[in-house]
Amino acid sequence: MASSSSSPAPPTLTSAYAAPPPTSISSQIASTTFTFPTYTSFPPFYTLQPNLTTRARQLTLWSNLLTTYCAHHRLFKLSLSFLPANLFANPSIHRTLSQPDIRTVLDHLALPANGGRVEWIPTSSRSEKPNSCWVYWRTPAEWADAIYGWVDETGQKGAVLTVYEIREGEAVQSQEWRGMDEELLRKVLSVLVKRGKAQIFGQEETAGVKFF
Amino acid sequence: MASNRRGVGLSAFSNSAISADQYARHGQTLRSNHAEALANQLSVFQAALHNFSLTHAKDIRQNPQFRAEFARMCHAIGVDPLAGSNVKGSAGSGGKTGSVWAKMLGSSVNDFYFELAVRVVEVCRETRAENGGMIAVSEVRKRIEKGRGIIGGGIDVTDDDIERALESLVPLGGGFKIVPLGSSRFIRSVPKELNLDQSTVLEVMQILGHVTVSMLQANLGWERARAIAVIDDLVADSLVWVDSQADETEYWSPAAMHDG
Repeated sequence: MASSSSSPAPPTLTSAYAAPPPTSISSQIASTTFTFPTYTSFPPFYTLQPNLTTRARQLTLWSNLLTTYCAHHRLFKLSLSFLPANLFANPSIHRTLSQPDIRTVLDHLALPANGGRVEWIPTSSRSEKPNSCWVYWRTPAEWADAIYGWVDETGQKGAVLTVYEIREGEAVQSQEWRGMDEELLRKVLSVLVKRGKAQIFGQEETAGVKFF
Repeated sequence: MASNRRGVGLSAFSNSAISADQYARHGQTLRSNHAEALANQLSVFQAALHNFSLTHAKDIRQNPQFRAEFARMCHAIGVDPLAGSNVKGSAGSGGKTGSVWAKMLGSSVNDFYFELAVRVVEVCRETRAENGGMIAVSEVRKRIEKGRGIIGGGIDVTDDDIERALESLVPLGGGFKIVPLGSSRFIRSVPKELNLDQSTVLEVMQILGHVTVSMLQANLGWERARAIAVIDDLVADSLVWVDSQADETEYWSPAAMHDG
């Protein structure tokens, strides 16, 4: 699969990627309107359920919603102070997941046992609770596979690419990771470095990456 | 004249003994003639039914009306199309007749209902955490229709089919029961039975979508304590979901969660 720049067809998931995550990521990446699942119009969805069996199911649904929403809107990060208006709330039924409950949901999703689809971003001060988190609609390992696969298939092994090119270059316009936060990309690249598949030279955005 | 002595030879038989014996033998002949005639008719019928089900296997599979008619016909002539469908090789639930019918009707009818039963069980299991083990037959049908595989994916499945498929599970031991709630029919896949109060509240929820304690008091004339006790039970059994953002806490049936 050659990456094409500014192709008229909508970007699609390529076969070079690792197996899709357990939550079904629809290939709606290109469509502009996110279709909210019916359960987002179910008022109790926004109340943390007292029955633990029911709550477990509820949290699974929140996990699905979060990952598909973020995948659709290419959100790699969520900040609790600037949340998207209709992700944890449905204004048409006047229901909102409260801030403490949002934190509970994200805490739950951060556990590896629950898929590890969320990772809190540590704050500078230890005593502060983190206020933002990565949303791994693809895990760093899955991103690593994707990027390495693209490098391999485009014959760029051995070449040196800049971090900027990998994030924003013309060659990646149709790739799922385009526009990824730099911090996340570095995380992903370090996965490849650990695997012995890449090496990073230099600092900042002019840093170069060589793939093996 | 009766002889008091028994011995061998013709004289051993009295007149009445001879006629009784003659009648007995004649009766036996009649019976064996009938049995033979019946066996002949049966084998002709068996062949016809077998051919019929093979010829129409495709229709049976794909056309729910035809399938319902076929099932009705089977019941009318005293044949259970599903008898022996779950018991391979052994006598079957209907005794010797079980597997014979299964063979005649061909595998397609049995396969269809058996596969359907398996899918129904799967759907119940998958949704149990969400609905506490009570799911509407119509919701099961919708989920199965959306699914893939031999069942679903274009094959029309009716609520009737689902109930019939569940019946075929009965010989395997219960655990699945049809529970009418108001005008809907539900499948209960957990052992705990609902008491009358609980069923009543679930029925009200089917009609209104959700209830509050006050609504139960007003509509059913219950005391507050009674209403609260029933609601607590339903929540504890994960049969209802709680919405605490309304003026008064609302309790919702999960049946509405994935509609549409």
